[in-house]
Amino acid sequence: MDRDYLKEKRILLVDDEQELLDMVCSILKEEGYQNLCTASCMKEAMEKAAVFSPELAVLDVMLPDGSGFELFEKLKQMGDFPVLFLTACGEDEDKFRGLGLGADDYMVKPFLPRELILRIGAILRRSYKNEEPQVKLADSIVDFSRAEVRRGSQTIPLTAKEFALLSALYRNAGRIVTIDALCEAAWGDNPFGYENSLMAHIRRIREKIEAEPSHPKSLLTVKGLGYKLLVEGR
Amino acid sequence: MKNALKLLRRMVLGLLGVMVLLPVVNILILMFTLWDVHGNGGPYSLAQETADALTKDGSGYHLRTDVQERLKEEGDWAVLLDPSGTVVWQTENLPAEVPKTYSLTAVAQLTRGYIADYPTFPAEDENGLLVLGCAKDSYWKHLYPAWDYQLISKAVPYAGIAILINVGVIILIYVLTDMKILRSVGPIMDGIQNLSMGKEVCLKKKGLLADIAGSVNRTSEILREKEYRLKKKETARANWIAGVSHDIRTPLSMVLGYAGQLTGSENLSEEEHRKAEVICRQGQRIKNLINDLNLASKLEYDMQPLHMERVNAVALIRQIVVDYMNTEPEDAYPICWMTEEDVGVCMIQADPGLLKRAVGNLIQNSVNHNPSGCTIYVTVEHMEDVCQIRVEDDGVGISREELKRLNETPHYMLCDENVTGQRHGLGLLIVRQIVDAHGGEVEVGQSGYGGFLAKIRIKIQKEEAGNAPS
Repeated sequence: MDRDYLKEKRILLVDDEQELLDMVCSILKEEGYQNLCTASCMKEAMEKAAVFSPELAVLDVMLPDGSGFELFEKLKQMGDFPVLFLTACGEDEDKFRGLGLGADDYMVKPFLPRELILRIGAILRRSYKNEEPQVKLADSIVDFSRAEVRRGSQTIPLTAKEFALLSALYRNAGRIVTIDALCEAAWGDNPFGYENSLMAHIRRIREKIEAEPSHPKSLLTVKGLGYKLLVEGR
Repeated sequence: MKNALKLLRRMVLGLLGVMVLLPVVNILILMFTLWDVHGNGGPYSLAQETADALTKDGSGYHLRTDVQERLKEEGDWAVLLDPSGTVVWQTENLPAEVPKTYSLTAVAQLTRGYIADYPTFPAEDENGLLVLGCAKDSYWKHLYPAWDYQLISKAVPYAGIAILINVGVIILIYVLTDMKILRSVGPIMDGIQNLSMGKEVCLKKKGLLADIAGSVNRTSEILREKEYRLKKKETARANWIAGVSHDIRTPLSMVLGYAGQLTGSENLSEEEHRKAEVICRQGQRIKNLINDLNLASKLEYDMQPLHMERVNAVALIRQIVVDYMNTEPEDAYPICWMTEEDVGVCMIQADPGLLKRAVGNLIQNSVNHNPSGCTIYVTVEHMEDVCQIRVEDDGVGISREELKRLNETPHYMLCDENVTGQRHGLGLLIVRQIVDAHGGEVEVGQSGYGGFLAKIRIKIQKEEAGNAPS
């Protein structure tokens, strides 16, 4: 199955600056996102959201008729979709407030287009991973909905830890995930001293997803730092 | 008030000291004076001496010459009475008004008092009674020296009690007077002490020292006013910087966004691509500068809240390096993770966001100063009780003079002199400020790889129980 289904997600962009909206639209369109809708105030956002039913919202905090935090709470009553704050308010307090409300991410302007794309991609993958049950790797296909790997004619089940690790890697596909972040994904808080266990689990995952586990093509090691999962079609 | 009590105690002790010292000194002076006046023990002893020096032989009475001389010198006279009261011997200078015979009454009188206003002093002689007469007005005699026996027998305790009562009354009056003064001094002393601690002071303008209390109040007001104005000024400045940087954010987003798009566009010529890349790069510099400027001013004016927590420095720095690798895929500035494999955990107390900024700034510094590219090396070392983070590169590095200037001259933002000539970036200033806020230290120098080296050292937090892996 193609990954481009994420590019078809409906994204609502709210910012009081029309030119910025145009620019974000242009960046997202260039990246392949097609279903975009923009609003420049709270009222307009509510009206459009009712019709558009967004699957991701990118909100500014300072709007002419209210704050993005208020808008966030109103939008959440309409449906459970991820929200990314994109704002010029860079204070820690604002950041904590936004994330504390339950926002999926908080970005401070000015931002690099590439960073925005990566974050939006990560949020969508995380939020809608069950809609994409099958991820194509170099030598195999991972079915997250059934927690199994298909390689050739074989179907190999994933253990809970392997599933957690692979999910964390997939959410950041194409990017390095640190050893510490992986340990935290698999073992929770205070993940100290699990490096050797992690290596063992990675080896077992490779045995399942790679044709040649000693020469991995999909799950790469970045020495001392972490691992990177390469997904086909990216 | 504690000070006031101490002062009162001192004053009373001082008073007691004076009360003891003064009589002692007086007695000494008195003794000294009296010694001088009665070097020979007074007229009674002179009388006895005269009597002893008077001898009788066949030809009559003879007085020893030295005693004779002395009597003459002092202007004294002497007579010897036989048992019947008749003068049997006399000195040559015997005044005419002195009688030649004495009844018992007259003897009793001369013993107690005077003969014709001459103070007289009797002495025993083997042949009768010797009477020494001194010059008029040379001595004063107490005529009736008799006291009630009861009084005399209790004189010592009575005197003691009287002295004690007197001393008590003096101290009481003294303490009461002092207390009154101290009561007005006490609040002023407390007030001045509070002033020095920067607290607000408002004293009652009452009592002896109302004027001084007023001055202290005014001083407090002036200080408060100044502090308020300074604070207002600092807040205004920090807010101004925050406001400007806020207002630049949105326009700059657009510059960065469109420039970024242009660099990826396929319709542009190579020349135009190059220009778009310059806009992109310079835009990013402004972006970093805005973030740094805001943070630097907040750190400088203590307006940046610190969110300290226990973090693993190795994991934190690893994340920074990985973030850098994930967002900056260009090959011009490869980054190498040089931390030893066995340095797994290095717990420190830190604000993860700020520490990330500090190390991120050091990495960015290497990029900024090496336009033709360099390799960046990041190392976390677990030393005895400090965690050392090294960020270094193999680029152009830093000359000895530059290093000296960097270490010795204050940053222009913190400098009260006009130093426009030597502006350098905010990057290193922020690193210093952040590390200072963590109680750590920064050291810059020449790297073994040939370029710039910066070391951050932060104290390691001791192991807490319950973190061991199962």
